[in-house]
Amino acid sequence: MTATDTVTTRPATASAARRMLNVARLHVANPVPTLVLPVFITLVIFGLNAAIWALVVNIAGGADNLDSNAFSYNGGITWIIVFMMVVAVQAMNLTFSYAIGLSVTRRDYYLGTCLYFLALAVGHSAWLTGMAAIERSTDGWGVGGYFFAPFGMWQESLAIIALGYVTTMLLSFSIGAAVATMWVRWRAYGLYAFFLGLAVVLVGAGWAITAADAWPSVGDFLVSTPLEQLFLWTLPLTALCGVVGFLLLRRATPRG
Amino acid sequence: MSAIIETSGLTKRYGRVNAVDDVSISLEEGGIHGLLGRNGAGKTTLMQLLTGQEFPSAGTTTVFGERPLENAAVLRRTCFIKESQVYPDDFKGKHVLRSAPWFFDNWDAAFAERLVRAFDVPLDRKVKKLSRGQRSAIGVIVGLASRSELTFLDEPYAGLDAVARQRFYDLLLEDYAAHPRTVVLSTHLIDEAADLLERVLVIDQGRIVIDAATDELRDSATTLVGRSGDVDGFAAGREVIDRTTLGGIASVTLLGLSDEDRRAATAAGLETTRVSLQELIVNRTGGGRAATTEEDAA
Repeated sequence: MTATDTVTTRPATASAARRMLNVARLHVANPVPTLVLPVFITLVIFGLNAAIWALVVNIAGGADNLDSNAFSYNGGITWIIVFMMVVAVQAMNLTFSYAIGLSVTRRDYYLGTCLYFLALAVGHSAWLTGMAAIERSTDGWGVGGYFFAPFGMWQESLAIIALGYVTTMLLSFSIGAAVATMWVRWRAYGLYAFFLGLAVVLVGAGWAITAADAWPSVGDFLVSTPLEQLFLWTLPLTALCGVVGFLLLRRATPRG
Repeated sequence: MSAIIETSGLTKRYGRVNAVDDVSISLEEGGIHGLLGRNGAGKTTLMQLLTGQEFPSAGTTTVFGERPLENAAVLRRTCFIKESQVYPDDFKGKHVLRSAPWFFDNWDAAFAERLVRAFDVPLDRKVKKLSRGQRSAIGVIVGLASRSELTFLDEPYAGLDAVARQRFYDLLLEDYAAHPRTVVLSTHLIDEAADLLERVLVIDQGRIVIDAATDELRDSATTLVGRSGDVDGFAAGREVIDRTTLGGIASVTLLGLSDEDRRAATAAGLETTRVSLQELIVNRTGGGRAATTEEDAA
């Protein structure tokens, strides 16, 4: 027998903050899927892009023979934004079932997971922005190639690039969480209903905009609104999806 | 002694099926209890309701005097290990043992290590690549090392071989003796676990059909074998739960025989044997359904 008697010295129930922090730690119990893998794959994709740039430069007989903007418009980095949706889907499905199996409440699980998503978005954005800074200081890795400042954003400030990463990753998480909780609650039928509903809404919106002759104003909004404001406009949608995910998970039963 | 679990009219409906049907039970604190029943009888659903993993359709549950649903104070003192536990993709045994202590206040890391050695579980292999028995062993390790005041073990040793099962029984009893707590164990291997169980709850089609101390149950039924005439003579007016006749030889299982009755039966040339827990439960949950009782005939 051990010296301490666990029955009489049971520590007080951990505080709510502590419990949420433990849930966040649960997501890094195995750090590979959310930390190691995204960095590794991003570097591989970047390496392939850089190899193609070098190849083209080589064939052209030097970067001077190419348009100055030849490699400044690249969207390869969007994969990591989409991957964050996959992370959220996995979290709301398998990891949720596991956490509930470890006597975690749904509320603690969801809030702790949101905390982790926030940290993950900030962390990945930080190193991607750092790479964008290096990219800039080397004039696009010496060949005018811009991978970490995607879609021609290489002239925007690093703060806007960081904001872009954080807000789009958070949006990706929250959409993933909302859709995955529909799956957890109602399985395939929930997703059929959701995507049918979404299609109806999108077609309806297109119809309404066309009927009101409002397409020019939509275009104006997208062109004239500063980039940082466009990024900030994702936040209401992110919050909405986050709340939907919470409400759905509060009444969800883990599978198995 | 106070009740650690209390339910009243607890019901869970899935569509038209009542998986758990009007269950009202009260379980005293301390002891190892069996929750027994056939596949699909409602064992897992009942345990899910008691641990806040499933939402009741009707009725109430209190655990440690409070509602378990979304109640962190209750759930942290509770551990529920089920055979069908899902693990995150790419989780290995070591990830499970790394994360489980964060959620159980009484976790004993040294004991967990000892259990890993006892069950010889490969910790560096993905959980989904493990055999059924190895996955069960991981559940058993978490269930025992959590030392939760209230521990539910749902078919904890599915797929474990006889040696590993015996090891499980020994370790459970040993640890239970050193750290008394309340354990609810569901299993199909009734006779194997019978010696462990203080109390037995039998669930059939969502309803609790037996709720009794194991000793009481074991003494409650006796099988008599002998010539048909002698057997029938003795059984007349008693509660018969099973009977078979082969040629002139009859075998009946009777409820509520006293020691004196048994001596009388032996004196009358009948062979008497106590009915095992398993036989009794099989009888009460389907096996004996086709059999007529002496009361019906009378």
